[in-house]
Amino acid sequence: MAHIHLGEGSFPLWALALWTGLGIVLISTVVYRVRKGGIKTNQIALAGIGAAASFAIFQLNIPVWGGIHMNLTGLVGILAGPLLGALIAVVVNIFSAALGHGAVGLLGANILVNASEAIVAYYAFRTLVRMEWDVFPAGASAATLGLSAGAILMGAIIVISGVNGSALPRADLTVAVAGLVGLNLGVAVIEGILTGFVVQFLVSVRPDLVGLVGRVGSEDSSGVTA
Amino acid sequence: MDRWKQYGGLLGLTIVCLGAGLWGFTSTGGALPWAKRSAQTLQRGVQESGGALVDFGRGIVVAGPIRKGGMMLEFLGLVGLLAIVGVGLYVYADHYHGLDEQERAAK
Repeated sequence: MAHIHLGEGSFPLWALALWTGLGIVLISTVVYRVRKGGIKTNQIALAGIGAAASFAIFQLNIPVWGGIHMNLTGLVGILAGPLLGALIAVVVNIFSAALGHGAVGLLGANILVNASEAIVAYYAFRTLVRMEWDVFPAGASAATLGLSAGAILMGAIIVISGVNGSALPRADLTVAVAGLVGLNLGVAVIEGILTGFVVQFLVSVRPDLVGLVGRVGSEDSSGVTA
Repeated sequence: MDRWKQYGGLLGLTIVCLGAGLWGFTSTGGALPWAKRSAQTLQRGVQESGGALVDFGRGIVVAGPIRKGGMMLEFLGLVGLLAIVGVGLYVYADHYHGLDEQERAAK
Protein backbone atom coordinates (compact mmCIF):
# COMPACT_ATOMS: atom_id res chain seq x y z
CA MET A 1 0.00 0.00 0.00
CA ALA A 2 3.02 2.29 -0.08
CA HIS A 3 1.97 5.66 -1.44
CA ILE A 4 3.24 9.10 -0.52
CA HIS A 5 0.21 10.99 0.77
CA LEU A 6 1.58 14.49 0.99
CA GLY A 7 0.14 17.66 -0.50
CA GLU A 8 1.54 19.72 -3.37
CA GLY A 9 4.71 21.58 -2.39
CA SER A 10 5.67 19.13 0.34
CA PHE A 11 8.99 18.27 -1.30
CA PRO A 12 11.68 20.81 -2.24
CA LEU A 13 11.98 21.60 -5.94
CA TRP A 14 15.24 19.69 -6.45
CA ALA A 15 13.66 16.53 -5.00
CA LEU A 16 10.61 16.95 -7.19
CA ALA A 17 12.84 17.26 -10.24
CA LEU A 18 14.95 14.27 -9.17
CA TRP A 19 12.03 11.84 -8.58
CA THR A 20 10.17 13.03 -11.66
CA GLY A 21 13.33 12.58 -13.75
CA LEU A 22 13.93 9.08 -12.38
CA GLY A 23 10.28 8.20 -12.97
CA ILE A 24 10.57 9.35 -16.59
CA VAL A 25 13.77 7.31 -17.07
CA LEU A 26 12.09 4.20 -15.62
CA ILE A 27 8.98 4.52 -17.77
CA SER A 28 11.02 5.34 -20.89
CA THR A 29 13.06 2.17 -20.32
CA VAL A 30 9.89 0.13 -19.81
CA VAL A 31 8.27 1.49 -22.99
CA TYR A 32 11.47 0.85 -24.96
CA ARG A 33 11.64 -2.75 -23.74
CA VAL A 34 7.95 -3.32 -24.45
CA ARG A 35 8.38 -2.01 -28.00
CA LYS A 36 11.52 -4.06 -28.54
CA GLY A 37 10.47 -7.32 -26.93
CA GLY A 38 6.70 -7.27 -27.36
CA ILE A 39 4.17 -8.48 -24.85
CA LYS A 40 2.90 -12.01 -24.24
CA THR A 41 -0.78 -12.60 -24.91
CA ASN A 42 -1.51 -13.81 -21.40
CA GLN A 43 -0.01 -10.61 -19.98
CA ILE A 44 -2.24 -8.40 -22.17
CA ALA A 45 -5.26 -10.29 -20.88
CA LEU A 46 -4.45 -9.56 -17.28
CA ALA A 47 -2.95 -6.07 -17.60
CA GLY A 48 -6.27 -4.37 -18.33
CA ILE A 49 -8.15 -6.15 -15.58
CA GLY A 50 -5.21 -5.64 -13.22
CA ALA A 51 -5.28 -1.88 -13.87
CA ALA A 52 -9.02 -1.70 -13.18
CA ALA A 53 -8.78 -3.75 -9.99
CA SER A 54 -5.70 -1.88 -8.75
CA PHE A 55 -7.25 1.53 -9.40
CA ALA A 56 -10.52 0.59 -7.69
CA ILE A 57 -8.90 -0.93 -4.61
CA PHE A 58 -6.43 1.97 -4.43
CA GLN A 59 -9.29 4.30 -3.58
CA LEU A 60 -10.96 2.12 -0.95
CA ASN A 61 -9.98 2.79 2.64
CA ILE A 62 -10.39 -0.34 4.74
CA PRO A 63 -10.77 -0.17 8.55
CA VAL A 64 -7.56 -2.02 9.46
CA TRP A 65 -4.53 -0.41 11.19
CA GLY A 66 -6.59 2.78 11.58
CA GLY A 67 -7.54 3.05 7.91
CA ILE A 68 -5.37 1.95 4.99
CA HIS A 69 -5.79 1.15 1.33
CA MET A 70 -4.29 -1.69 -0.68
CA ASN A 71 -2.58 -1.38 -4.06
CA LEU A 72 -2.60 -4.88 -5.58
CA THR A 73 0.66 -3.91 -7.27
CA GLY A 74 2.27 -7.16 -6.12
CA LEU A 75 -0.53 -9.14 -7.77
CA VAL A 76 -0.37 -6.96 -10.88
CA GLY A 77 3.40 -7.51 -11.12
CA ILE A 78 3.09 -11.28 -10.77
CA LEU A 79 0.31 -11.54 -13.34
CA ALA A 80 1.16 -8.85 -15.88
CA GLY A 81 4.95 -8.90 -15.55
CA PRO A 82 7.39 -6.17 -14.58
CA LEU A 83 6.97 -4.05 -17.71
CA LEU A 84 3.19 -3.91 -17.84
CA GLY A 85 3.16 -3.80 -14.04
CA ALA A 86 5.17 -0.58 -14.12
CA LEU A 87 2.87 0.89 -16.79
CA ILE A 88 -0.17 -0.02 -14.70
CA ALA A 89 1.42 1.83 -11.78
CA VAL A 90 1.64 4.90 -14.03
CA VAL A 91 -2.02 4.65 -15.09
CA VAL A 92 -3.28 4.11 -11.53
CA ASN A 93 -1.23 6.97 -10.12
CA ILE A 94 -2.24 9.43 -12.85
CA PHE A 95 -5.95 8.67 -12.45
CA SER A 96 -5.64 8.77 -8.65
CA ALA A 97 -3.87 12.13 -8.71
CA ALA A 98 -6.49 13.44 -11.13
CA LEU A 99 -9.12 12.65 -8.51
CA GLY A 100 -7.10 14.32 -5.74
CA HIS A 101 -5.73 11.10 -4.19
CA GLY A 102 -1.99 11.85 -4.22
CA ALA A 103 -0.29 15.04 -5.36
CA VAL A 104 0.37 15.62 -9.07
CA GLY A 105 3.86 16.87 -8.18
CA LEU A 106 4.63 13.56 -6.47
CA LEU A 107 3.62 11.43 -9.46
CA GLY A 108 7.25 10.61 -10.27
CA ALA A 109 7.99 9.49 -6.71
CA ASN A 110 4.77 7.49 -6.38
CA ILE A 111 5.31 5.81 -9.76
CA LEU A 112 8.79 4.76 -8.65
CA VAL A 113 7.37 3.34 -5.41
CA ASN A 114 4.51 1.39 -7.01
CA ALA A 115 6.48 0.24 -10.05
CA SER A 116 9.19 -1.13 -7.75
CA GLU A 117 6.53 -3.17 -5.93
CA ALA A 118 5.37 -4.78 -9.17
CA ILE A 119 8.90 -5.39 -10.45
CA VAL A 120 10.24 -6.90 -7.21
CA ALA A 121 7.11 -9.06 -6.75
CA TYR A 122 7.43 -10.45 -10.29
CA TYR A 123 11.10 -11.41 -10.00
CA ALA A 124 10.66 -12.77 -6.47
CA PHE A 125 7.74 -14.94 -7.65
CA ARG A 126 9.66 -16.30 -10.65
CA THR A 127 12.69 -17.02 -8.45
CA LEU A 128 10.62 -18.87 -5.85
CA VAL A 129 8.76 -20.87 -8.52
CA ARG A 130 12.12 -21.86 -10.03
CA MET A 131 13.12 -23.03 -6.55
CA GLU A 132 10.11 -25.41 -6.70
CA TRP A 133 7.97 -23.49 -4.19
CA ASP A 134 4.23 -24.14 -4.21
CA VAL A 135 2.16 -21.39 -5.80
CA PHE A 136 0.54 -20.03 -2.62
CA PRO A 137 3.68 -19.50 -0.51
CA ALA A 138 5.54 -18.23 -3.58
CA GLY A 139 2.79 -15.72 -4.45
CA ALA A 140 2.28 -14.57 -0.87
CA SER A 141 6.00 -14.21 -0.14
CA ALA A 142 6.76 -12.52 -3.46
CA ALA A 143 3.94 -9.99 -3.07
CA THR A 144 4.99 -9.28 0.52
CA LEU A 145 8.59 -8.77 -0.55
CA GLY A 146 7.54 -6.49 -3.42
CA LEU A 147 5.28 -4.38 -1.24
CA SER A 148 7.95 -4.21 1.46
CA ALA A 149 10.49 -3.00 -1.11
CA GLY A 150 8.02 -0.29 -2.15
CA ALA A 151 7.47 0.73 1.47
CA ILE A 152 11.21 1.02 2.11
CA LEU A 153 11.69 3.01 -1.11
CA MET A 154 8.85 5.31 -0.06
CA GLY A 155 10.58 5.93 3.27
CA ALA A 156 13.93 6.53 1.58
CA ILE A 157 12.39 9.04 -0.83
CA ILE A 158 10.82 11.03 2.02
CA VAL A 159 13.99 11.01 4.14
CA ILE A 160 16.25 11.98 1.22
CA SER A 161 13.87 14.73 0.08
CA GLY A 162 12.97 16.20 3.46
CA VAL A 163 9.51 17.68 3.98
CA ASN A 164 8.82 21.38 3.49
CA GLY A 165 7.29 22.95 6.60
CA SER A 166 8.43 20.14 8.91
CA ALA A 167 10.52 21.36 11.82
CA LEU A 168 11.82 17.86 12.52
CA PRO A 169 15.58 17.38 12.34
CA ARG A 170 16.63 14.74 9.78
CA ALA A 171 17.25 12.11 12.51
CA ASP A 172 13.76 12.57 14.00
CA LEU A 173 12.24 12.59 10.54
CA THR A 174 13.99 9.29 9.83
CA VAL A 175 12.49 7.72 12.97
CA ALA A 176 9.05 9.06 12.07
CA VAL A 177 9.33 7.72 8.53
CA ALA A 178 10.54 4.37 9.89
CA GLY A 179 7.25 4.14 11.82
CA LEU A 180 5.30 4.74 8.63
CA VAL A 181 7.38 2.15 6.78
CA GLY A 182 6.78 -0.31 9.64
CA LEU A 183 3.02 0.15 9.34
CA ASN A 184 3.31 -0.41 5.59
CA LEU A 185 5.11 -3.71 6.22
CA GLY A 186 2.17 -4.80 8.39
CA VAL A 187 -0.18 -4.04 5.52
CA ALA A 188 2.17 -5.64 3.00
CA VAL A 189 1.95 -9.07 4.60
CA ILE A 190 -1.87 -8.96 4.74
CA GLU A 191 -2.03 -7.93 1.09
CA GLY A 192 0.65 -10.49 0.29
CA ILE A 193 -1.39 -13.37 1.73
CA LEU A 194 -4.48 -12.22 -0.18
CA THR A 195 -2.34 -12.11 -3.32
CA GLY A 196 -1.15 -15.66 -2.65
CA PHE A 197 -4.75 -16.90 -2.57
CA VAL A 198 -5.65 -15.05 -5.77
CA VAL A 199 -2.61 -16.38 -7.65
CA GLN A 200 -3.29 -19.91 -6.36
CA PHE A 201 -6.89 -19.68 -7.58
CA LEU A 202 -5.86 -18.33 -11.00
CA VAL A 203 -3.27 -21.06 -11.44
CA SER A 204 -5.92 -23.68 -10.65
CA VAL A 205 -8.41 -22.37 -13.23
CA ARG A 206 -6.21 -20.73 -15.90
CA PRO A 207 -2.54 -21.65 -15.41
CA ASP A 208 -1.76 -20.27 -18.88
CA LEU A 209 -2.58 -16.75 -17.70
CA VAL A 210 0.08 -16.96 -15.01
CA GLY A 211 2.57 -18.73 -17.28
CA LEU A 212 2.60 -21.86 -15.13
CA VAL A 213 1.03 -24.46 -17.42
CA GLY A 214 3.64 -27.10 -16.61
CA ARG A 215 3.27 -26.55 -12.87
CA VAL A 216 -0.32 -27.71 -12.53
CA GLY A 217 0.38 -31.32 -13.35
CA SER A 218 3.35 -31.52 -11.00
CA GLU A 219 1.37 -29.92 -8.15
CA ASP A 220 -1.60 -32.24 -8.67
CA SER A 221 0.68 -35.23 -8.49
CA SER A 222 1.98 -34.06 -5.13
CA GLY A 223 -1.54 -33.75 -3.77
CA VAL A 224 -1.90 -29.96 -3.80
CA THR A 225 -5.22 -28.61 -4.97
CA ALA A 226 -6.59 -25.08 -5.05
CA MET B 1 11.97 -27.60 -1.75
CA ASP B 2 10.48 -29.01 1.45
CA ARG B 3 7.04 -27.65 2.14
CA TRP B 4 7.81 -26.89 5.78
CA LYS B 5 10.66 -24.64 4.64
CA GLN B 6 8.37 -22.75 2.26
CA TYR B 7 5.66 -22.18 4.83
CA GLY B 8 8.23 -21.58 7.56
CA GLY B 9 9.75 -18.83 5.42
CA LEU B 10 6.34 -17.30 4.83
CA LEU B 11 5.53 -17.55 8.55
CA GLY B 12 8.81 -15.82 9.45
CA LEU B 13 8.08 -13.05 6.95
CA THR B 14 4.57 -12.68 8.38
CA ILE B 15 5.82 -12.42 11.97
CA VAL B 16 8.49 -9.83 11.09
CA CYS B 17 6.07 -7.72 9.04
CA LEU B 18 3.23 -7.87 11.57
CA GLY B 19 5.68 -6.94 14.35
CA ALA B 20 6.90 -3.97 12.32
CA GLY B 21 3.30 -3.04 11.53
CA LEU B 22 2.30 -3.12 15.19
CA TRP B 23 5.27 -0.95 16.14
CA GLY B 24 4.49 1.46 13.31
CA PHE B 25 0.83 1.58 14.33
CA THR B 26 1.53 2.57 17.93
CA SER B 27 4.46 4.88 17.22
CA THR B 28 2.72 6.94 14.55
CA GLY B 29 -0.45 7.90 16.34
CA GLY B 30 -2.49 4.70 16.77
CA ALA B 31 -5.86 4.34 15.07
CA LEU B 32 -5.62 7.08 12.43
CA PRO B 33 -6.38 7.02 8.72
CA TRP B 34 -3.21 6.79 6.63
CA ALA B 35 -3.25 10.31 5.16
CA LYS B 36 -3.80 11.93 8.55
CA ARG B 37 -1.20 9.67 10.19
CA SER B 38 1.31 10.44 7.46
CA ALA B 39 0.88 14.24 7.62
CA GLN B 40 0.86 14.30 11.42
CA THR B 41 3.90 12.05 11.85
CA LEU B 42 6.02 13.88 9.30
CA GLN B 43 5.20 17.25 10.84
CA ARG B 44 5.39 16.41 14.57
CA GLY B 45 7.45 13.22 14.75
CA VAL B 46 6.53 9.93 16.42
CA GLN B 47 3.66 10.01 18.89
CA GLU B 48 2.79 6.91 20.93
CA SER B 49 -0.89 6.11 20.84
CA GLY B 50 -3.23 3.13 20.67
CA GLY B 51 -6.70 2.25 19.49
CA ALA B 52 -8.40 -0.64 17.75
CA LEU B 53 -6.34 -2.46 15.12
CA VAL B 54 -9.53 -3.33 13.27
CA ASP B 55 -12.63 -1.13 13.38
CA PHE B 56 -15.45 -2.79 11.47
CA GLY B 57 -17.84 -0.04 12.57
CA ARG B 58 -16.05 2.37 10.28
CA GLY B 59 -16.63 0.18 7.24
CA ILE B 60 -14.94 0.43 3.88
CA VAL B 61 -15.00 4.00 2.60
CA VAL B 62 -13.75 5.70 -0.54
CA ALA B 63 -10.58 7.79 -0.06
CA GLY B 64 -11.22 11.18 1.58
CA PRO B 65 -10.12 13.44 -1.31
CA ILE B 66 -12.56 11.70 -3.67
CA ARG B 67 -15.45 11.41 -1.22
CA LYS B 68 -15.17 14.90 0.22
CA GLY B 69 -14.25 16.48 -3.11
CA GLY B 70 -17.48 15.31 -4.74
CA MET B 71 -15.63 13.11 -7.25
CA MET B 72 -17.60 9.90 -6.66
CA LEU B 73 -19.22 9.96 -10.10
CA GLU B 74 -15.85 10.46 -11.80
CA PHE B 75 -14.36 7.66 -9.67
CA LEU B 76 -17.10 5.20 -10.55
CA GLY B 77 -16.90 6.26 -14.21
CA LEU B 78 -13.16 5.59 -14.30
CA VAL B 79 -13.56 2.21 -12.60
CA GLY B 80 -16.26 1.30 -15.13
CA LEU B 81 -14.14 2.48 -18.05
CA LEU B 82 -11.07 0.55 -16.87
CA ALA B 83 -13.18 -2.56 -16.24
CA ILE B 84 -14.64 -2.40 -19.77
CA VAL B 85 -11.18 -1.90 -21.31
CA GLY B 86 -9.82 -4.72 -19.12
CA VAL B 87 -12.52 -7.21 -20.03
CA GLY B 88 -12.20 -6.15 -23.69
CA LEU B 89 -8.47 -6.85 -23.61
CA TYR B 90 -9.08 -10.18 -21.91
CA VAL B 91 -11.59 -11.25 -24.57
CA TYR B 92 -9.29 -10.01 -27.35
CA ALA B 93 -6.25 -11.78 -25.91
CA ASP B 94 -8.20 -15.00 -25.33
CA HIS B 95 -9.47 -14.97 -28.91
CA TYR B 96 -6.02 -14.09 -30.29
CA HIS B 97 -4.43 -16.89 -28.25
CA GLY B 98 -7.04 -19.32 -29.56
CA LEU B 99 -6.30 -18.31 -33.16
CA ASP B 100 -2.59 -18.83 -32.57
CA GLU B 101 -3.23 -22.35 -31.34
CA GLN B 102 -5.51 -23.14 -34.30
CA GLU B 103 -2.83 -21.95 -36.74
CA ARG B 104 -0.21 -24.04 -34.98
CA ALA B 105 -2.48 -27.10 -35.08
CA ALA B 106 -3.19 -26.55 -38.80
CA LYS B 107 0.53 -26.45 -39.55
